[in-house]
Amino acid sequence: MTIVVGHPTRTHDRAAISLGAMLARSLDTDLLVVSVVPAPWPTLVAGNVDKEYAAWSREAGAAAVTDAKRVLAEVAADLESRAVAVPGRSVPSALLEQAARVDAGLVVVGSAEDGAWDRVALGSTADHLLHAAHVPVAVAPRGFATHAVPRFARATCAFRADRASSDVLRRTTEICAAAGADVRIATFGVLGKTMYPPEVRGEQDVLDSFVEQSEAALRDAAVATGLRDVDHVVATGRDWAEAVGRLEWRHDDVLVLGSSPRGVLARVFVGSHASRIIRHSPVPVVVVPES
Amino acid sequence: MSVDAGAGPTLRQQLVRRKPIKALRGPHDGPDLKRSFGTFQLMMFGVGATVGTGIFFVLQEAVPDSGPAVIISFLVAGLGAGLSALCYAEVASAIPVSGSTYSYAYHALGELVAMVIAACVLLEYGVSSAAVAVGWSGYFNELLDNLFGFSLPDALSYSPIPYEDNTTGIINLPAVVLVMMCMVLLIRGASESARVNTVMVLIKLGVLLMFVVIGLTAWNGDHFDGFWDKGAAGISAAAATIFFSFIGLDAVSTAGEEVRDPQKALPRAIMGALAVVVTVYVLVAIAGLSAQPASEFSSPEQQDAGLAVILENVTGHQAWGTVLAAGAVISIFSVTLVTLYGQTRILFAIGRDGMLPEKFSSVNPRTLTPTFNTIVVAIVVALIGGFVPADYLWDTVSIGTLMAFIVVALGVLVLRRTQPDLERPFRVPLFPITPLLTIAVCIYILSGLAAVTWVIFGCWLLVVLAFYFLWGRRHAALNRGVVADTEVPES
Repeated sequence: MTIVVGHPTRTHDRAAISLGAMLARSLDTDLLVVSVVPAPWPTLVAGNVDKEYAAWSREAGAAAVTDAKRVLAEVAADLESRAVAVPGRSVPSALLEQAARVDAGLVVVGSAEDGAWDRVALGSTADHLLHAAHVPVAVAPRGFATHAVPRFARATCAFRADRASSDVLRRTTEICAAAGADVRIATFGVLGKTMYPPEVRGEQDVLDSFVEQSEAALRDAAVATGLRDVDHVVATGRDWAEAVGRLEWRHDDVLVLGSSPRGVLARVFVGSHASRIIRHSPVPVVVVPES
Repeated sequence: MSVDAGAGPTLRQQLVRRKPIKALRGPHDGPDLKRSFGTFQLMMFGVGATVGTGIFFVLQEAVPDSGPAVIISFLVAGLGAGLSALCYAEVASAIPVSGSTYSYAYHALGELVAMVIAACVLLEYGVSSAAVAVGWSGYFNELLDNLFGFSLPDALSYSPIPYEDNTTGIINLPAVVLVMMCMVLLIRGASESARVNTVMVLIKLGVLLMFVVIGLTAWNGDHFDGFWDKGAAGISAAAATIFFSFIGLDAVSTAGEEVRDPQKALPRAIMGALAVVVTVYVLVAIAGLSAQPASEFSSPEQQDAGLAVILENVTGHQAWGTVLAAGAVISIFSVTLVTLYGQTRILFAIGRDGMLPEKFSSVNPRTLTPTFNTIVVAIVVALIGGFVPADYLWDTVSIGTLMAFIVVALGVLVLRRTQPDLERPFRVPLFPITPLLTIAVCIYILSGLAAVTWVIFGCWLLVVLAFYFLWGRRHAALNRGVVADTEVPES
């Protein structure tokens, strides 16, 4: 199950390749670093006026491959890896094409350039991948390369009180068992805002109920998956930043979240909590599409 | 869960057992509410929660009962609401929980009283959401008509149940749609922020002030002739209906936890809010009465969007009516959202206490809101709003609220006797006169309600209590090992 890493052509962000290397080492697999360059027009253009453009595209691709190979030599010398530049109409769709071609088990990308240091920031590529990918997508926090560790030692699996998330938990547990990592289960919740004028308050009750529900569902899931000694933490707060910040995080952590493939309608009606948790994560995030 | 009735508490113990305060917060103590509100902000909450629930519709209901003496009815209803708010504030401040009247009653007065209060507040919130939605529908149609020259046909804007000689239709569609829109917002977890609340207060006060100014330009003192003609019975009947428009003043009372100096700030905020609200209401009533004779308030053209129609009649222009209708449409939308929200959270609290099926307190993990609860509430409220004329609804809301307030005032008296040492950050002034006066005023207002309202209320109370005795009592969360406070703590 090769890991496909999206490596940007213009910047020299090492975060994605560093994260790809860490995951590949833990999961005992190889890396395919893909840089996507603009595709020339498929039809012949009169007078070959786009020749210069095609040449620039090829050069940019070659430069990106050289850059990727240099980074690979530094952070993934012990791993089997390749770097390629492929033409594509958009970065996410080209990455997904490559992932399908090599039957990848995971796609890794970096954070947006304007994101905060040490936090995950979803750029347009990552955002599109999260909505469209049928394979898990990992996103590195900005500057992840500076404290990358050889292998991850613990996966924090976000757990909601529903079946889809029990499924994600089961898969995470299996993968962590193979990778020799611990599993920590976290229930994330935020306190609803006070409705003004404040006639009736019940948001604390709602949050308490959710946590209880989640604990009950977790007991069921633990019985079903044969988990023992579950390390369960509750992360609640007035907003997502506070909730995520309430947990203890280490540099060898990854955060695993389930995300449902959302239709247009669902996106309008249901705010995506997953993407809000992701935005405040100080550790790499792996988003697993729920079946 | 199996309940062994034999080993459990006796019926008497069960009816008077109180929910211990420490059982309220679970091990995952969430972020605490901050003590941050000052008197003025608190007062604005009171004004914001109160103005808008009724004043846009209530004149057309109350003036036919009382004639020009409706002004006295407003003062009486205001007095009742203000006194009740003070009593409520004492109970709310003594019991450090967040919630509604129901929660306070369960902690202070026992399970049976809590269920009675629950029946009352379900009317106060659920039925008033429906009533407000119906009122919104009238202004919405008026706005459509003024702006685009068409409005929904009668069949789609009036309920099928006749009330006197009012227009009937098949369904009040705008009311149903409004409730459904609020449902979607609540499921998404939307909430009205303090800033939006302030904007809404300004919109409401702005259009009402405009109504007053324009109404007074058409001053005709003759309209106040025969001020006392309808007598005391007319005044109390109108006050009973009007009481509905003072609901929300208790928003101030429950904020005790978040106030910096409750003993000073609470009564000031309650009195301040009351003063603003009563002034606005009385001015609106005077302006309305000065602009047209009392008999015209019951004309069919004013059945809905009453204030806007008066403005149009006074000025001969649609523009002013349009502005008022637009203000009403925007601000009543937010009132509906807030009352509907209140209803869902009260049911949630009852569900948490085990007196309703667990589904009511289950939270959708995707939205982190009680989705099932919200959908049930919205459907019931939409059905009421769509098929029952508002005229039946207002009095039902008033009776529920008045009953709840009487119980709260009794609660103040009882708690002072049974738990004299309970810490009370706020104590009602002039004890025991204030709670006794509260009860007296509320009973006087209640005396104005029609027999049919009492029958509806009695039936509803029976339904709720029957459900409690047959189901809720056996499933109460207090049965599950939590030690209830059945004894009065020794002082």
